[in-house]
Amino acid sequence: MTQQASYGFWRAAGKRLWADKLARVCMAILAIYFAMAVASGLGWIAADWNEEVGVSYANPSFLGEDYPNPQGKNSMISQEVLVIDDKQKAVDPLAPYYAEIEQRAAAYEQEELKPSWTLPLGGDKWGRDILAKVIQAGEVSITVGVAAAALAVLVGTLLGAIGGYFGGKLGDLLEWFYNIFTSVPYILLVLAFAAVFGKGISTVILVLGFTGWTGTYRLIRSEYIKQRGRDYVMAANAIGASHARKMFVHILPNVSHLILVQLSQLVVDFIKAEVILSFLGLGVPTDAVSWGIMINEVMPELVLGKWWQLAAVATVMSTFVVAFGLFTDLLRDALDPKASRR
Amino acid sequence: MTTENLLEIKNLHVSFRLGKSETFEALKGVNYVIPKNSVVALVGESGSGKSVSAMAIMDLLPRANTVIAPESGLVFEGVDLLKQSEKQRRALCGKQISMIFQDPMTSLNPVYKVGDQIVEVLRLHKPLSKAAAKQRAVELLREVGIPDPETRINSYPHEMSGGQQQRVMIAMAIACEPKLLIADEPTTALDVTIQKQIIELLIKLKATHGMSVLFITHDLELVREIADHVVVMHRGVIKEQGASEQVFTAPKDPYTRALLACRPTIDKRPIRLPVVEDFLAGREHELPQGERSRGVLASDPIVLEVRNLKKTFRVKQGLFSHKEVAAVKDVSFKLARGKTLGIVGESGSGKTTLGKTILRLNSCEGGEVIYEGKNLMSLSDKEFMPYKRQMQIVFQNPYASLNPRFTVGDILLEPMRVHGIHDSDKDRAEHAMQLLKRVGLDEKAFNKYPHEFSGGQRQRVSIARCLTMKPEILVCDESVSALDVSVQAQVLNLLQELQDEYGMSYLFISHDLNVVKYISDEVLVMNHGEMVEYANADELYRQPKHAYTQKLLAAIPGRG
Amino acid sequence: MSAYLLRRIWQMIPTLAGVILLVFFLFNVFGGDPAAILAGKIASKEKIEAIRDQLGLNAPIWVQLWIFVKQVFTFDFGNSWSTNEAVSAIILQKAPVSLTVMLQVWLLDAIIAVTLAVAVAYKRGSLTDRAVMGICTAAMSISLLLYVVVGQWLLGYKLEIFPVLGWSDDLWTNVSTYAPLPILLLLFVSVAPSLRLYRSFVVEETSHDYARTARAKGASEHRVMFVHVLRNAAVPIVTNLAMALPGLFVGSFVVEMVFSIPGLGKEIVTAVLRSDFPVIKAITVYLAILTMVVNLLVDLLYKWLDPRVELK
Repeated sequence: MTQQASYGFWRAAGKRLWADKLARVCMAILAIYFAMAVASGLGWIAADWNEEVGVSYANPSFLGEDYPNPQGKNSMISQEVLVIDDKQKAVDPLAPYYAEIEQRAAAYEQEELKPSWTLPLGGDKWGRDILAKVIQAGEVSITVGVAAAALAVLVGTLLGAIGGYFGGKLGDLLEWFYNIFTSVPYILLVLAFAAVFGKGISTVILVLGFTGWTGTYRLIRSEYIKQRGRDYVMAANAIGASHARKMFVHILPNVSHLILVQLSQLVVDFIKAEVILSFLGLGVPTDAVSWGIMINEVMPELVLGKWWQLAAVATVMSTFVVAFGLFTDLLRDALDPKASRR
Repeated sequence: MTTENLLEIKNLHVSFRLGKSETFEALKGVNYVIPKNSVVALVGESGSGKSVSAMAIMDLLPRANTVIAPESGLVFEGVDLLKQSEKQRRALCGKQISMIFQDPMTSLNPVYKVGDQIVEVLRLHKPLSKAAAKQRAVELLREVGIPDPETRINSYPHEMSGGQQQRVMIAMAIACEPKLLIADEPTTALDVTIQKQIIELLIKLKATHGMSVLFITHDLELVREIADHVVVMHRGVIKEQGASEQVFTAPKDPYTRALLACRPTIDKRPIRLPVVEDFLAGREHELPQGERSRGVLASDPIVLEVRNLKKTFRVKQGLFSHKEVAAVKDVSFKLARGKTLGIVGESGSGKTTLGKTILRLNSCEGGEVIYEGKNLMSLSDKEFMPYKRQMQIVFQNPYASLNPRFTVGDILLEPMRVHGIHDSDKDRAEHAMQLLKRVGLDEKAFNKYPHEFSGGQRQRVSIARCLTMKPEILVCDESVSALDVSVQAQVLNLLQELQDEYGMSYLFISHDLNVVKYISDEVLVMNHGEMVEYANADELYRQPKHAYTQKLLAAIPGRG
Repeated sequence: MSAYLLRRIWQMIPTLAGVILLVFFLFNVFGGDPAAILAGKIASKEKIEAIRDQLGLNAPIWVQLWIFVKQVFTFDFGNSWSTNEAVSAIILQKAPVSLTVMLQVWLLDAIIAVTLAVAVAYKRGSLTDRAVMGICTAAMSISLLLYVVVGQWLLGYKLEIFPVLGWSDDLWTNVSTYAPLPILLLLFVSVAPSLRLYRSFVVEETSHDYARTARAKGASEHRVMFVHVLRNAAVPIVTNLAMALPGLFVGSFVVEMVFSIPGLGKEIVTAVLRSDFPVIKAITVYLAILTMVVNLLVDLLYKWLDPRVELK
């Protein structure tokens, strides 16, 4: 018997994961993104992303106002101020009313909102702040990815567990469903669903979730078939544990690490899928914003030499997905040390 | 150096890097020699390092994390192998030194025909044409006793039985007339009757080819008749080595004496099996003397009666139809209270299926199991529930039978919760603690996870789990087969003590005829799903009536 | 063998029926009213009714289903609702365009990924291996869309190495001029995941006992890898390659849209945006059939590659 403290599976895996420097970096990055997404969701930051706070295609601050830009400050038309002298006043029939006019006009005068010439990461076509926009877009994209992945994993796990554990006619029925869903190429299936159910953030989540469960189903089903024949399940059977108990108390914890890895993988996949769908005009509606919508706006901008929206969204999005992808890999290794030791 | 020695292993130190700073020393300075034309048996339990030394000779240890200390030497015909290049050593493999492994099924490449695999080794080391090599492969297959070798040369490994696969491995190993053949547990994965054939074949080949054999095994008894020299290893250290005669008749080291004594044999049935600790602590002369008498009398009360039990599996066949394959055909027996019924058979005999069917872990296609006057097979699941706690099972693989995500406490509390034993978890935990102590585990085990225990300790947890329900009948399905000899004795002793204490009846399922003889009052022999012979243990072993039983008994190692 | 084939074909029937039902319910029941969409925003009720009649949408559900089943088996899905071309003609015209790009991607991906996978598996555990795997994870995490947008802008527009977009009627012009940039960009996304997968197949095989036996026989490390391990790893690799075949016909939606390649992918997206249901329905059903046929071929391939597999 080892003399160390007892570590359950999760604590041991957590320790292994934490021991890896790269994993800690990835987790820190992901934590920042999720914190931003939550803050944005609560309206603490980036709530005014849709305000036109700058001039069209405002320069990023680090380039300065003078960076050559057809829409930049150097393109400003100088106004000549008209000075009215007494000689002119003398012939002007309205002259006596000037004071009254000014007084009346003052009642309607608004402080003119001066659009800013530069914004931290530049502005888009409508002069919206790209920094705020990319944060808001991140909130939408991450929400879609996480929610759709959670839905797909939930459906896949439930069906996989039932199909794998019971088998028989019920299992055949689920296999039939699976065969139907996988005989159509995935992207085509998503498009077909999207074509029918239209646009909208929640629609995208549902479409991705209800078409993306097949991988999880397959994995969990085969895992349940394997586990249900294991001696520990036989032993649970021998002591009289119910089906539900065997499925969820005994087997589920033994496959839960696979479910977690699957969830993590699907978040990355679905964020990428949302980008494609929004680009094709079938995802997030255009009055909202997501990373996909932003990339969609970028193509004409590039021809005009406005690269900053692309740079912002590419950096922000790639950092997130790459960190998430690496994290998924390291998580897999930490949860299944035998597989990685090869 | 002497010209008598083919290979000298000198001060061999091998360690493995486990992590960044962790290392594990598998061999701690091992010295032994393999003389020319001799059989050396390397015996040890798991973790003794016996296979590591063979792998070191063959240069098969993973180079990335293996450290062989510089003072080590592997002198083969006067040349130190450790000073040779990887290429030189690889050229030696298969030609001068060859090796066969424990599991022939996985050791053969599944996608190539066996003939091609033999041809490969021939052409790697000899300038033979394809046709000539093929011709030689046929001869080799014939030599190792494969019938109809001209046709079988075109078979794939999976089309052969385990015994035949091992014969192919042997044919490959002797193809280039090596001077040394290393056999690493070559019969452990095989049935006892096949085991005997393979060993006879190896000995015959050793004589005809004039080679030396390094025979690695955990079973000392297996090499009693074939070995010239015996080397006993324990945790990376050689405990004893010497001529076979001396090691078996006058072992010097207490560990060797323990290994010889704690393995049950069919001619003795001590009250309690000696265990290694008895020998290491010098208590070997204080062991209880006398033998236990066993057997069932007609007057013994019967607790369970099985009548004409039948279990079939459905196998797909043809376009839409199914074929029924019988795993258990028409088995009947009576289990007496407080007694043990041993069920023996080789793999595929249906003995495990029989045990599971009685407990209703399988469906049943006919027959009755009578307990307390009721036929358990005809009850509904709900009606059967209260009977479940009366019949429990201890499985073979101690690593698979405990849920890895449960603590030992969870494992022991669950059956009590399911069956409503005790009123509170506090009482249940107290009961669990008592049981842990009873099976010889520390109370600290309660909060630990299965992976923190050794195989023997896990079997103790499994037994404690059964005891929480105070069953009347315990099915032991190869429960000690996966354990090392010394641990096996401890668990067998525990089972016997518990039977004496609680009066449980055992169905003891095993392929090991020695163990079954030791623990059983009655024995039932199964072959291909059929009940071949059923009698009191002493009678069956003394006078086997059925030809199959006779064949089984004749194949027990050490009985020649 | 023939019994196996028969049973497999027999087993396709329920799946095909399922796909037909799925597509039918998706478009004919949940799909909203295509007539309203087609008629435009300011159409009169009468006009919509007329269109509904014309499309057969006023018939009872089961009649519509029957018509759909007939369409599937006669290969006649009628005409596109938006262009009025025959659907079958559209498919036959567009599919080869997608294949022009995708077959090359498939082939190059296989060659590059398998070669690299064997190379890094050979050096498994080394720094090179870990670096390549890290790059793969990063490369496969980045969206295809970014590769395409940046690639088109940089390599097409800025550096003018490739034409920015376009397609011609001449196969050779397409292969030599218009296809290379899309192919290059698609390879960026496809090689990384393939490489990782194939590497894991190869590494998995190296840990098997037969590799140890081959070493014990005196085979060189090279021989162990290429004769023993690779032959076994070929089973899942070839299967994986074959499974990708049906997807080649639809091409890459994003690439075809961005580079204006008139393939099936672009056709599908356009059809979806225009609610041109007959086109989507036809393509979906036929791809499902194609997938089932490929799956059967994969099983036969499996039998051929792995002698252990029994077709019963």
